[in-house]
Amino acid sequence: MRLSRRQTHELAGAYALDALDGAERDRFERHLHRCPACERTVRGFAQTATALAMAAAAEPPSGLRERVLSAASVTRQAPPTLAGRRGRAATRPGSGVTGRSSGSRSGRRSPWVPRAAVAIGAAGVAAAVALGTVQISTQHQLNSAVAREAQIAAVLTAPDARIATAPTSVGGTAVVVVSRTQQKMIFTSSGLPALPSAKVYELWLLGPRSARPAGLLPPPSGGRTAPLLASGVAADDKVGVTVEPAGGTSSPTTTPIVVLTLPA
Amino acid sequence: MGSFRSASDPAERSDAEPTRGESELDTLLTMVARGDQGAFETVYDRLARPVYGLIRRVVRDPAQSEEVAQEVLLEVWRTASRFDPARGSAATWALTIAHRRAIDRVRSETAATEREQRSAASPVAVDEVAETVEATLEAERVRRCLDGLTQLQRESITLAYYGGYSYPQVAALLGTALGTIKTRIRDGLTRLRDCLGVSW
Repeated sequence: MRLSRRQTHELAGAYALDALDGAERDRFERHLHRCPACERTVRGFAQTATALAMAAAAEPPSGLRERVLSAASVTRQAPPTLAGRRGRAATRPGSGVTGRSSGSRSGRRSPWVPRAAVAIGAAGVAAAVALGTVQISTQHQLNSAVAREAQIAAVLTAPDARIATAPTSVGGTAVVVVSRTQQKMIFTSSGLPALPSAKVYELWLLGPRSARPAGLLPPPSGGRTAPLLASGVAADDKVGVTVEPAGGTSSPTTTPIVVLTLPA
Repeated sequence: MGSFRSASDPAERSDAEPTRGESELDTLLTMVARGDQGAFETVYDRLARPVYGLIRRVVRDPAQSEEVAQEVLLEVWRTASRFDPARGSAATWALTIAHRRAIDRVRSETAATEREQRSAASPVAVDEVAETVEATLEAERVRRCLDGLTQLQRESITLAYYGGYSYPQVAALLGTALGTIKTRIRDGLTRLRDCLGVSW
């Protein structure tokens, strides 16, 4: 169905409240490019919606602050979009408050409000850490390091990448990025205390019936552990870390310092 | 947690007047874009309640709401450089992200099923806004302005924004023609905007 200009114009309110779906939203966004008056209207409505949001303010759960701030401390920020900035100002006056972000339903990506999956994927939660800490001394190591980096990057940039963080019982924060489709996850941490040389942090995939070893955490360096990649993540797995004798064990012998539920 | 104030945070900020809050938040977000974690703590403290409250209104389920709120607040940190004060306030930027993420969550298929089951058990109370919002000045002001709308305008707006319904769903819920709902949302928002004195 093709809407008349006037009909499209009428949608500004529904658009500002995110009440348009798929095709109609896309059509309205195209209309916005050519309609500075609509753009102004949408901006005013978006500010109005902000007042509605403020009026709904409620106290978040107590652990949220700590988790968000910890996650931020190990999350690389997105760079500003330089070329896009100028281009947008010229061609997309409305994009400021209008760019639709929801990933899966339309392929479009607003520079202003990025899609969730991209936000987390490209977050490179650990990529910078990885590049800084990988020790390379031989060609073989170089090759495997490069391959590992590629696998880590593949998880971080997966469209379904999700992040979870939790404080551990010995201090510091555990961070997991999981891709369900790839059945892989990356574990990293900040603020874990260093262990004596006879001990090591071991990562586990905790299924309903058994715990599978998922690798030994590299010793913390600069307060962080380099990212550890684990494959074969099952739908109902949780992730845990225990302190074990150097070399690791095949099943946990101590109480986990953290157990993370993987995001769906 | 650490100090609320970063090294670059001017001392006079703590007793800023509420009217200065908005542009101050804009400035803080610009600092966050440059990696200032202290500024981010302050931004968190300003935005966490509206972000969480809004998501909770739309998503309902506390665990899912917390998850979405965490994603949104982390996204504020991560994408602060994309915020452009020339195109709207920092609060609007962040709460636009929050609302969209909440909508994404409830309109995804599995969530929709659960939600339908829940709403079958307890029908949506349209005027719930007035009952559950906290008695802040802003909430009072918004409620007064919502009261000034016609019933159909008010119901259309609250179902769409707080309920997270698309406008065809709103039309179905209210047994009203699509075109009418579209117009009521637009007219209602215009009245609300003028009542709230939103500058735009």
